Amino acid sequence: MPKTRVGVFVCHCGNNIGGVVRVPEVVEYARTLPNVACVEDNLYTCSEEGLSSIREQIAEHGLNRVVVASCTPRTHEPLFREACEQAGLNKYLFEFVNIREHCSWVHMHDPAMATQKAKELVRMGVAKARFLEPQEEFESSVFPAALVIGGGVAGMTAALGLANQGIQVHLVERDQELGGLIREVRTLFPAGQATEEVLQPLAEQVRNHRQITVHLGSEVEDVGGFIGDFDVAVKADGQVNNLKVGAVIVATGAEELKPTGLYRYSELGNVVTQLEFEERFKRGADVPRDVVIINCVGARIPERTYCGRFCCTTAIKNAIWIKEREPEASVFVLHRDVMAYGVQIEESYRRAMELGVRFLRYDPENPPQILGDGRAEAVRVQHQLMGKEIVLPAELVVLTTPLVARDDNPRLSKMLKVPLGGEGFFLEAHLKLRPIEFSTDGVYVCGSARYPANIPESVSQAYASAAKASIPIREGVVRAEAITALCDERTCSACGNCVEVCPFGAVELQEGRFGRTAQVNPAQCKGCGCCVAACPSGAMQQSGFNDRQLLSMIGALAEEMTGGVGE
Amino acid sequence: MSNRSVVVVGGGIAGIQASIDLANMGFRVYLVEQTPSIGGRMAQLDKTFPTNDCSMCILAPKMIECAGHENVELLTYSELAEVRGTEDDFKVTVRRKPRYVDLTRCTGCGDCTEKCPRRVPDEFNVGLGKRKAIYLPFPQAVPRKVTIDEEACLYLTKGRCRVCEEVCQAGAIDFEQQEEILELEVGALLLATGFDPFDPASLEEYGYGKIENVITGLEYERLICASGPTGGHLERPSDGKVPGAVAFIQCVGSRDVNYKPYCSSVCCMHATKEAILANEHYPDLKSFIFYTDMRAVGKQFQEYIIRARDEYDVSYVRSRPGKITVDEETSNPIVWYDETVYSEAGDPVRRVTSLEVDLVVLCQALVPHTDHQEMAQKLGLELDESGFIAIEDRLFHPVDTSVAGVFACGFCQGPQDIPDSVIQASAAAARVAEILSLEDRELEHA
Amino acid sequence: MASESSDEGGNGYEPKILVFACNWCSYAGADLAGVSRLQMPANCRIIRVMCSGRVRPEFVVTALSKGLDGVLVLGCHPGECHYSEGNYFTRRRGLLLKNLLQFVGIEPERFQVRWVSASEGAKFADTVEQVTEQIRALGPNRPQGGMHSTEPGDR
Repeated sequence: MPKTRVGVFVCHCGNNIGGVVRVPEVVEYARTLPNVACVEDNLYTCSEEGLSSIREQIAEHGLNRVVVASCTPRTHEPLFREACEQAGLNKYLFEFVNIREHCSWVHMHDPAMATQKAKELVRMGVAKARFLEPQEEFESSVFPAALVIGGGVAGMTAALGLANQGIQVHLVERDQELGGLIREVRTLFPAGQATEEVLQPLAEQVRNHRQITVHLGSEVEDVGGFIGDFDVAVKADGQVNNLKVGAVIVATGAEELKPTGLYRYSELGNVVTQLEFEERFKRGADVPRDVVIINCVGARIPERTYCGRFCCTTAIKNAIWIKEREPEASVFVLHRDVMAYGVQIEESYRRAMELGVRFLRYDPENPPQILGDGRAEAVRVQHQLMGKEIVLPAELVVLTTPLVARDDNPRLSKMLKVPLGGEGFFLEAHLKLRPIEFSTDGVYVCGSARYPANIPESVSQAYASAAKASIPIREGVVRAEAITALCDERTCSACGNCVEVCPFGAVELQEGRFGRTAQVNPAQCKGCGCCVAACPSGAMQQSGFNDRQLLSMIGALAEEMTGGVGE
Repeated sequence: MSNRSVVVVGGGIAGIQASIDLANMGFRVYLVEQTPSIGGRMAQLDKTFPTNDCSMCILAPKMIECAGHENVELLTYSELAEVRGTEDDFKVTVRRKPRYVDLTRCTGCGDCTEKCPRRVPDEFNVGLGKRKAIYLPFPQAVPRKVTIDEEACLYLTKGRCRVCEEVCQAGAIDFEQQEEILELEVGALLLATGFDPFDPASLEEYGYGKIENVITGLEYERLICASGPTGGHLERPSDGKVPGAVAFIQCVGSRDVNYKPYCSSVCCMHATKEAILANEHYPDLKSFIFYTDMRAVGKQFQEYIIRARDEYDVSYVRSRPGKITVDEETSNPIVWYDETVYSEAGDPVRRVTSLEVDLVVLCQALVPHTDHQEMAQKLGLELDESGFIAIEDRLFHPVDTSVAGVFACGFCQGPQDIPDSVIQASAAAARVAEILSLEDRELEHA
Repeated sequence: MASESSDEGGNGYEPKILVFACNWCSYAGADLAGVSRLQMPANCRIIRVMCSGRVRPEFVVTALSKGLDGVLVLGCHPGECHYSEGNYFTRRRGLLLKNLLQFVGIEPERFQVRWVSASEGAKFADTVEQVTEQIRALGPNRPQGGMHSTEPGDR
């Protein structure tokens, strides 16, 4: 065996790390660690310069282990692993040490402690790296079909996006009809087009597409498996239909908040939500003359901090609708901020004002009050510019409420093993750059299931999720990270603990060269390591997280820092 | 045989994301970028809202993944010259400007840059610093290769110098390099040409260009960035002093029918981020954000505003300042604005009041890229009234332009933030994939 | 070395705490705490494991017997495990292990199991703060003889 030669690269990350952690000290310290053959610091190890330096040092010093101390493996591990690979080093001989998120950023006012912690983390990383072994990845094939859950605008678009690439799609919709929430919306922003006119052709296209199988009145009962090989149980009329797909798109949408208890909603018949307004008046009821629209109802409050994103747009759309039909009508929009972002919404906001819609800002500390007995007759509000209360007559009060997450989300989240955020919406892998992916491979999200989104946004997200889901399907194979469990048959006592604890049924007792022992199927193993912890004999190990590696980290942490441990 | 390749124009985050997605789908991608490096505007940002992720930290891996992808051919320092043909059969001419450096030889070591005698304003740092005539646009540039600015180079303008050539050990300098014309046959085009900042000098009342301590949002971003001209020290232009109070003015040129009628969508959050960063760097620093509506409509945005107010000493003032003057002695800008106060009798009185601060940041409108008009002409594309690429059916085909086979994503088709741009980029990739998969589909249906 | 700097003021020593964090929830939660710049005591050192269910009781015993002051195991909330049920093993093992620690004369508070999700940066910071203070209050860990640690390479 060649001698273990570890290279350590410590990143300043501009001043994100270097501004707190004394990087040169960490570098000097790393030089004293056993088996360390080269240490270097970089302004940005992730820059092309930093990466090429890793490649050069591997060659120059004959490094056979690489440790980078920088940010988080959750974003940067693939990059550094690739650099190792390019230099001919198996990528599993790389170890990541997090001294930014877990150190410089959370100890900004204590450089001494942060520096010491960074040194210890590097010592632990080097200790583990010494016991890393090269690994081969397991490849598995991808079943060439996708599941889209939810038949609203987002779900239908995602299905078309995939089907038009020639990919088989199963579209599962709970209702008996396609369309989702938008069916309750009568006219569409910004042109006021009737929803029917555009929804019907879209649904038609979906229903008639040869690549799309629509499952109406159906619910996803269970999802098992992993990217490339999901087993889905779809239930309709008590019948369970089993499907196999390679990728899953969540497009289950959201629902309008019914603001019970706010502004005497549900007590007074003429206090309605925006969707109820659409239902009642756009169907043909007489257009009301005096309308007060109150925005931010149940949104941007301590219990529900988020902004509903397009609620203001809805208010503007409906205010314009009233004014176009009844120019003499008095329409007030009471708001906190008018969220008319972009080109089109701002334009409509201006247009509403030109048509005579009055926008008045209210103070959430002193919200509008509904006056009237048995029915709303007026709304009292503090006029902020005039500095006094005014009373607006109201034949109708429309409450603009945000979309809220569906009750079914927790069930789906558990089934798909993807997280929900604080507000109950699905939580993407990264807010900024991975907005429609999950950390779980092969599962994607689009539309208001992720966060309230208007039609163009939902459609964009749907196409985007189709793009992402199509990648593994087009490729046909996925490679599993080599962190699976492995049983040493010589020491296995066939107690079967591992079989019991494995959540994926990946371990079985089988007859082999050494008699009856545990065997792991790498296609099913997801690399949790539970079986390893359950193994009484130490026969079961996990690649990249084996006992020797982890114990050496513990040992390294427990060592007193005497300026290095010679060997 | 259906054409399996695509031209992506613009190497910012939208173009990069679209290229990566298309390449991963198995298509051949030509990514055409006007400047010497991909990265775009996002590369100039210090942090990104609402997570305060370091912008370069999350962008750099994408840049590298894109450039290193076997299916991506990076054409930097290049422009569209001509486009002929129709959907599924475009003939695209790309002009590759001479950078006078052999890309196969340059190692990006920087020896030439160090020795080059000619200094010019650095566009990456929006003119706040200097760069050399032979330069790497920024440390994380991809490709990490230098470029000679032919308008600044002493040899190319005056016929003498060639110092870079002498010091380059790789022999990469090539003053004979000529413009290259590339003919590409592609099935689709995807535009992601991004934005430019609006020049606020035309709003004379705000004194930009006249009052030293009135700067733009992008200038501020570079000043507070660790890799910026001051190494992340917020120094105000007049005397290098760290400001104690900063005023951010929103909607400078935006939501203004005299300039840009639209809302630029990102400035409210951008200003909030800048104010948070300032306070993070200097805990005594106080910020005032003068706004019209606080448009914080994305995931976690409201929470970000609340944090700014409660933890980072940011005051939100709802007012559109009328003018900015300067105290000649201290060079402090003075912001004049309307506020409502109440008389003893409780009657409201509108009055003009002023606030003296150390630094004013103008959050200027963001406008479609300046070369838009010309590009639209080459492609036969329609633009909207504000110059953004027109989208015919915004509701159901939000990335389709007026020309079949040409798609647009990101800021070039309307103001939007990074996540929305990334989403549109992937969406546009899906639409391109539909066209380029047409033949597979027909075969299957046969 | 931090644990040597026992300042005046009784328990003013800096405990050294080993943290196991699962990749999907708690490690991500720790990252989020960093991204949010939530400040916290610098006594914890994280070892990333894919699932809290990977943490073999032996690791905890080894750490404490080698003189580390505390061990904190962080996993996804019950019912939210990326691998369905790994954290249930963690929970059951944790209870047994606490009994064992008491039996061998180690304060069971030195070993703690908590749940932190990917969106709970603040909870991560609070947990670190609380656990650090609890272990600080216990004073330095002085392992008795008789417990054998497993050295790497023994196998």
